[in-house]
Amino acid sequence: MSHHLEDHVIPKSRQREKARGDLKWIGRDLKRVEDPRLLTGKGKYIDDLALPNMAHAAVLGAPHAHARVKSIDTSAAERLPGVILVYTGKQAAQETGPVASFSSPPATQHCMVIDKIRHVGEVVAAVVAEDPYIAEDAVNLIQVEYELLPVNVDPEQSIHATGDAVIHPDRGPTNCAYDQEFKFGPVDEDFARAEVVVKRKLKWGRSAAQPIETVGAIAEYDEGSGRFTCYANTSFYNVVNFVIAGALKVSPTQLKIVPTIAGGSFGSKIFTHKHVTLTCALARAAGRPVKYIQDRIENFLNSDAHGSDRIYYAELAMKRDGTILSLRFKVIDDYGAYFQFGVGHHGNAMAQVTGPYKINSVGMRLIAAFTNKGQQGAYRGFGSEVTNFLIERMVDAAADELGIDPIALRRKNLIEPHQFPYVIPTGNVYDSGNYQAVLDEALRLIGYDEWKAKQAQARAEGRCLGIGVATCQERSVYSPTEWWSLNPISNPGFALTSVPEGVSVRIDSSGKIFAQLNAPFWGNSPETVVTQVLAEQFTVDPADISIGYADSDSGFNGFGPGGSRYTVMVTGAIVSACGKLKDKLKLLAGHLLEADPGDLEFRNGAVGVKGVPEMQKSIAELALMGNFFRMSFPDTPEFDSGLETTAVYDHTLSTPPHPERKHLGIFYPIMGHMCHIAVVEVDPETGKVEIVDYAAVHDAGTMVNPKTLGGHIRGGTANGIGTALFEEYKYDENGQFRNANYADYAMPTVHEMPKDLKIGHLETPSPYTEYGIKGGGEGGRMGAPAALASAIEDALKPYGVRIDEVPMPPSKLRGLIRACTPTATRDSG
Amino acid sequence: MKPAAFAYERPESLDAVLKLLSGRRGRAKIIAGGQSLVPMMNFRVLQPELLVDINRVPDLDYHRVEAGELRIGALCRHTTLRDSALVRQACPLMHEAYQWVAHGPVRNRGTLCGNLCHADPASEMPAVALAVDATMLLRNSTGERTVPADQFFRGVYETAAREDEMLVEVRVPLAPKGQGWGFHELSVRKGDFAIVAAAATLRLDGGKVSEAAIALAGCGSHALRPSQVEQTLIGRTPDDSVLAEVAAACAAAINPASDIHGTAEYRRDLARALVARALRDARGRCG
Amino acid sequence: MDEVEIRLTVNKKERRARVMPRLLLSDFLRHHLGLPGTHVGCEHGVCGACNVLVDGVAWRSCLTFAVQVDGCEITTVEGLGSIKKLHPLQEAFWEEHGLQCGFCTPGMLMVACELLAKNPNPTEDDVREAISGQLCRCTGYQNIVKSIMSAAQKLRAASEKAA
Repeated sequence: MSHHLEDHVIPKSRQREKARGDLKWIGRDLKRVEDPRLLTGKGKYIDDLALPNMAHAAVLGAPHAHARVKSIDTSAAERLPGVILVYTGKQAAQETGPVASFSSPPATQHCMVIDKIRHVGEVVAAVVAEDPYIAEDAVNLIQVEYELLPVNVDPEQSIHATGDAVIHPDRGPTNCAYDQEFKFGPVDEDFARAEVVVKRKLKWGRSAAQPIETVGAIAEYDEGSGRFTCYANTSFYNVVNFVIAGALKVSPTQLKIVPTIAGGSFGSKIFTHKHVTLTCALARAAGRPVKYIQDRIENFLNSDAHGSDRIYYAELAMKRDGTILSLRFKVIDDYGAYFQFGVGHHGNAMAQVTGPYKINSVGMRLIAAFTNKGQQGAYRGFGSEVTNFLIERMVDAAADELGIDPIALRRKNLIEPHQFPYVIPTGNVYDSGNYQAVLDEALRLIGYDEWKAKQAQARAEGRCLGIGVATCQERSVYSPTEWWSLNPISNPGFALTSVPEGVSVRIDSSGKIFAQLNAPFWGNSPETVVTQVLAEQFTVDPADISIGYADSDSGFNGFGPGGSRYTVMVTGAIVSACGKLKDKLKLLAGHLLEADPGDLEFRNGAVGVKGVPEMQKSIAELALMGNFFRMSFPDTPEFDSGLETTAVYDHTLSTPPHPERKHLGIFYPIMGHMCHIAVVEVDPETGKVEIVDYAAVHDAGTMVNPKTLGGHIRGGTANGIGTALFEEYKYDENGQFRNANYADYAMPTVHEMPKDLKIGHLETPSPYTEYGIKGGGEGGRMGAPAALASAIEDALKPYGVRIDEVPMPPSKLRGLIRACTPTATRDSG
Repeated sequence: MKPAAFAYERPESLDAVLKLLSGRRGRAKIIAGGQSLVPMMNFRVLQPELLVDINRVPDLDYHRVEAGELRIGALCRHTTLRDSALVRQACPLMHEAYQWVAHGPVRNRGTLCGNLCHADPASEMPAVALAVDATMLLRNSTGERTVPADQFFRGVYETAAREDEMLVEVRVPLAPKGQGWGFHELSVRKGDFAIVAAAATLRLDGGKVSEAAIALAGCGSHALRPSQVEQTLIGRTPDDSVLAEVAAACAAAINPASDIHGTAEYRRDLARALVARALRDARGRCG
Repeated sequence: MDEVEIRLTVNKKERRARVMPRLLLSDFLRHHLGLPGTHVGCEHGVCGACNVLVDGVAWRSCLTFAVQVDGCEITTVEGLGSIKKLHPLQEAFWEEHGLQCGFCTPGMLMVACELLAKNPNPTEDDVREAISGQLCRCTGYQNIVKSIMSAAQKLRAASEKAA
């Protein structure tokens, strides 16, 4: 182990429930508990709800990318019948404060434009009216005078901007939001002893989650109590509620956020603080409940949820025999106009930046740029899917330069099964894995040798068939140190060290089990997963379990889905809660059966003496007794009435970053792994890529519900295909967002998917989590872009085209092919 | 995204429709399928004062062969034409092109006549109409006139139809015996508007080209027919190198724009590739 | 711009209303008739979440004005089946994990319904073509295709039994 990790400690496991083969409910393809109401149109998404006397909001989005608002004339809008209120930045400046930011120093943002516009689509004015049609009519009557400011859209240029082009002058006289260098391990020495240094410039274009449901909220301000109630399809509401309250200039006790189910998120609805703040402010100003549902264009322009947008100048230090020594790179990330998560996406990436390989050191220079575009948020991978692409492209480049088969090169460097828990140079740990087995299974699943033979034949026929293999990590269960560990050491900002997950569980007097979640539904399967774990713990039938969602008044300590954390964290909390309740039930049963609680077990919804089938009490009977029949039990506190508990679960395996950041501690160790293999055929004349075959094998530890996990693999792969081939947010030189609609932003349809996407599962349980479960929610998006880039490059080997960027739509690919085609053959068509 | 307010009429005769259109100076719009119109209204790019809903006017939803032509009425839906055995026989090029047009629910409502009047330069059917020398029958409250396809498409969303005219029928000459056809398109996703699409027909006489038509979508402000290039095919044997040469000439003859979906150079590449493929298919289908 | 009276049948119930011409059918169903099962994802006709059946034909309700369906018979997802009695399509989606967030699902169900009424024995390619105009961000589509194929089988078996 490298010298810089000498103080690195891996805490002992705190696992209580082992992974094992005799589980009844965990591991089953239980039909989802959530589905019946979703299938019958009774889901109750945010726009399905209505409050009495509710009004509707529409907004005027800024038409310019960088401008000051000189004047706003709202008189015509206000006069329109049906208009209740027109709200401008002037009012917002008085009534609201800055919205949440995890960056240090923050890049101040308000719920709407106060001082100046920093990207197109920011809210310049809002109208509240009797119905959304009138609200929009009124928006079109608002007259605004703008003073244009210089626009920057190229991050490498923007960081040199001065004067009026500076987007956050109060933060500093530069659009360079961040510039820091890190060395994890002996980077310089490793590069000095390298025999070959492979260099690439790689680009990752800006795409985003774009769930089919947009962001929405309904807010009500009760003047009598001074309380806001806000229904919203957001998350983080019961942990960072106080920040929104602060933005509304009220005490945290005055804000209740009630979650509604979300029609997809993929990270984009993790914390829609701006939207909630604005809707609440409007409700307070209007004196009526206000509903504001973003339309699709607003969702593109103004929902603070853009994905990573990076340029890498990367180097891989190698030995000639294929041993990878070190990775170092300079990365420039275009963060857009604000900085809500700071460089957290890069902290996140440090969890697995070396991929599944034994690499001795990592060096990074990270530059974050402000530009006049929408800001980055969270999108499935939160920045790690990008470094998966980085390391896989570099490994393929190394294979090419060294003349080594890319699979052989991977095998040579893959971490071996006996080496876990494995510490990577950044300090993060990989808890368990068997990368060789995943690779072997993927090769078998795709029929690799048969495809190689077909490829030879295709090449002989002049067709461009390519095979790409990507072996990638999917870290799960984050520690929040990743959000700030790369921030300035002297001023890291809010340096939180825990993101727990709480749950409350209650058994009612008929023996039914109620669990209250502190996290929303996004399309993941929280109710199903929790039902399965509860059924396992109590040996009851899923039909006897009911799941609800707490609001911010009754909820607590729940960071919800994101970063592939939820299943592991909520299971941990459930196990804690069940432990307490099961102990109580055993206590009660022990008294009634005159047996020692240590001799009791749970079986078929009852608690009974081991080995004595007739000596048992059903949970229902115990619950009845425990709730209503106090006097049947001894008069000591442990027999007090009630069978309910709350439990908070903290990360089982995280440590702080080194004070000098020699390493970042352990922050994302529950490590899943995948191998994606793509077979593509490229039409060299048009640049069109057809995915002919595809296999994805994932190891997410013990699976709670293989079918729903499979859903994340497939859906995630679809997102990854979009990212790799079609999806890009296109801002022009004036900062105009040119394809902010579903016709021009090309998300995959069924036709763009491979017809038979083969998936496989492997399980190397985690030694650290309950039942050995690992997170798998980010799924296929972590591996697909790397696999597809590799496959396309392989397909175009005869042309010598390198695929160094995503997305790679036909127009771009054709341009690369054209550039590599000798002029003589080019013109003959 | 809600549309601006408008007045709404749903006349029950063609005469009533035409009367409503007259004297409105363009501020009235016909709604047939609405699949192109309503998105523009929802975006508020278009804000007609009056919407004239023709969907209840009888005898507009037809397609039939009459006087040696395939005649398609104003309310004939894309789905009908796509599924029609008559169209497959009378205009196989149209049938082929329909495999590339939009998606089910959009085709259920969208009409061919509406699509042609909308004249999106990246739309497939205007190119087909050009390639087959279709004729548009326009009618207003005072009379009717026909306009051939090569004069109908004028620019982006611009046709020869006057503000008070309605396209009541499209007339497509029946595909001559032995004519081969081909249609190829490149779009980002299947069903999207074309970046470039190429339609072609060929007839051979003794192994040499006697008739040829090539039309392009996505290569200019409207569907194009490079007739001068077509002429160079006449009398020649359509082997691969000849067809490639013609395709290259098409690419050289066009002046496409660069936009967010592709550069001008890319569109020329596509024109060259797709015209060659369409011509090869057409050659293979010559009877 | 005056309101227009419309009368129509929705999920086999007669409904009557006075609506502004510009009121979109999607908004009419969701907010005036209390049928929020039809979802709105884009309001420009691309995502397909808003599909309803009008006289058995799938239409984009976000591209239709309520006034246009005067006299028509509309079926929304609420008319397909209920929690107590799911339609075979809904059963199949449930069994085959054909949904995750559920937002695109009503649109998928309605085009699937239209397909199976026209073609009770579709191939997988037929199913793909039928759902090609529907955007789903969660599932990657494969389980949706599987669900519809499974439903087709269920419906064929049921009609064979009835015959």
